[in-house]
Amino acid sequence: MTRPARLAAQGLAVALVVGLLALLVWRVATDNSKGVAQALKDGNHPTAPAFDLSRLDGGGRFDLASLRGKKPIVLDFWASWCVPCIHESKRLEAARKQYGDRVAFIGVDTKDFSGDARDWQKKHGITYPSVHDGSGSVLAKWGGLPIPRIFFVARSGKVVGELIVEEDLPRYLREIAAS
Amino acid sequence: MKRFFPVVLLALLFVPAAHASERHPTLPELEGEVMCPVCETTLDQSSSPAAQQIKRVIATRIAAGDTKTQIKDRLVAEYGSAILAAPPHKGFGLVAWWLPVAGILAAAVAVGVGARRWARAREPAPAGPPLDAASERRLDDELRRFEG
Repeated sequence: MTRPARLAAQGLAVALVVGLLALLVWRVATDNSKGVAQALKDGNHPTAPAFDLSRLDGGGRFDLASLRGKKPIVLDFWASWCVPCIHESKRLEAARKQYGDRVAFIGVDTKDFSGDARDWQKKHGITYPSVHDGSGSVLAKWGGLPIPRIFFVARSGKVVGELIVEEDLPRYLREIAAS
Repeated sequence: MKRFFPVVLLALLFVPAAHASERHPTLPELEGEVMCPVCETTLDQSSSPAAQQIKRVIATRIAAGDTKTQIKDRLVAEYGSAILAAPPHKGFGLVAWWLPVAGILAAAVAVGVGARRWARAREPAPAGPPLDAASERRLDDELRRFEG
């Protein structure tokens, strides 16, 4: 191999390694796998990441951004295989009776089989609409597993908080209903 | 052509087995080819509720007479392509299948070229022109004196 060719090959190899390192650094620096949940823990109130998913009941699609500026939202990530989700979804169903006219209650059935999810809703008397996030890509933007995860979004589209302690449910509902 | 006969014969032996696996898949077989969506392992490595749910769905579809492709297509429609343990043989998934092959070929070429150069470097240098009679005599005399 001639000297210029060797130099060119070495330059190319170094550029490739530097490029891969830069990609790795960028990936680590922009890693938002903890999503909204992490932002809330850090004391921020991010804008709710948009999603447009099929409704579980077969009634077309639901676009979260369509409610921005119109109605506050309670977002419930659940799955039919998730035992604690039964209790949480039932609590939200009960709260919906009081706040349903002012707050939109939306379920996100995640990493789940949609047929089982529909059966689960019927079995547990959950009537608020849910969308199907089979791959879990929407859940990942909000914080990933474990579920249940319940978020409260103000009318402006800013995420106010995540339900960590059960007793906080009435407080969050009052807060977003007044937003 | 005769050299390839055993290879072709061997390949043909696997055809009926692959065909049977496609038409009549078994649960253990599919458990090794489908991921648990919450534990990042294949179904056969997991007993989580989410994995149990998918195993149940697969068992139901096998009992209903679905082929392996039909079952996998159904799972992909529900969970996305990440539910499959192996990437699909199409689109970007092809990269995962062919990149290792390309890597092995590139490594083989690199080793081949390196070995050839190394072998060339070890070849003895070509001999110089033969000595004339006077020089040869003088060399013999020198050697005799040296040995004597």
